[in-house]
Amino acid sequence: MSALTSSNNYFEDFHVGQKIRHARGTTIGEVENQLLTKLVMNSADGHWNEAKMAKTAFGQRLVFGFITASMVMGLATQDTAENAVKETGLDRIRFKKPVFHGDTVNAFTEVLSKQDTENTTEGLIRFKHWGINQHDEVVFEGERTVVLKRRPATH
Amino acid sequence: MNVSDPDISGFQLWRRGQQFEDFTLGQSFTHHWGRTLTAGDATLFASVALRYCPLYLNAEYAKAAGHRDLVVDPLLVLSTVIGLSVEDLSEAGGPFLGVNKVEFGAPVHPGDTITAASTVIDLRESESRPAAGIVSWRTVGTNQHEETVIEYERTNLVAKRQSKRERRMSKPA
Repeated sequence: MSALTSSNNYFEDFHVGQKIRHARGTTIGEVENQLLTKLVMNSADGHWNEAKMAKTAFGQRLVFGFITASMVMGLATQDTAENAVKETGLDRIRFKKPVFHGDTVNAFTEVLSKQDTENTTEGLIRFKHWGINQHDEVVFEGERTVVLKRRPATH
Repeated sequence: MNVSDPDISGFQLWRRGQQFEDFTLGQSFTHHWGRTLTAGDATLFASVALRYCPLYLNAEYAKAAGHRDLVVDPLLVLSTVIGLSVEDLSEAGGPFLGVNKVEFGAPVHPGDTITAASTVIDLRESESRPAAGIVSWRTVGTNQHEETVIEYERTNLVAKRQSKRERRMSKPA
């Protein structure tokens, strides 16, 4: 199965303080926010009622924060969790600016800590992620802990 | 409008959501509905959110790692539990101030049914926004076997019932 994932993103490949700019960005449009916000049963129509939101200071529908969070962490997933055993948690999730349909986010990551685990084939890593929009504003930040595989002998 | 159209001014609004005054410390909520997460949900979410980890997208890979099926992306589990809690906690309120201490518990697999419950753990006034208060909840997501699949704390700005905006909007034109 190790042939299906990259060989440069095992536990050993990261060091504390490492800063990563992820290769791909994504525009968050109606497909992402309308489809996923409704898929997860978020009933707040501020995310999907354009006429109502046109009358507010925002002027338009807001992207649900956890769609932004999921997409920013998604942009970081191949690099930081392709070889995950499991993701164990998140912390200090903050939404710093509203995100609207048509905004583009890019993902940035810093390795905060590395820890050995009882299982010597794995290790625990804590990452901090930032999502930055097309105006260079931070829209999302948050920490994420992942149990990553150590490199198998054959890889 | 046509003469046969209804006079909508006589229709009473069926309100959804709660405001700051509706919350008390220690109050608990069993959130509505629950949600069975299917393989379709899991694959759709993980694909659209670019979650390129094969545990979430390749059932054979997940089985080789000891799972009985695909692993449902924990970010889908989190987003769904938040979604189920929105009407009770934050639909009529205001923005997220933060989500902390998110712990993923038992892995979720396609076909598992998730329910959500929350408790008010903090209530305070907002110094900068007198028309709103700040509420924190602890939320737990549970599967059909009563195992915890996720828990976290969340804090939102929550509008007060008699905010300036409401008073202004309720004035006759």
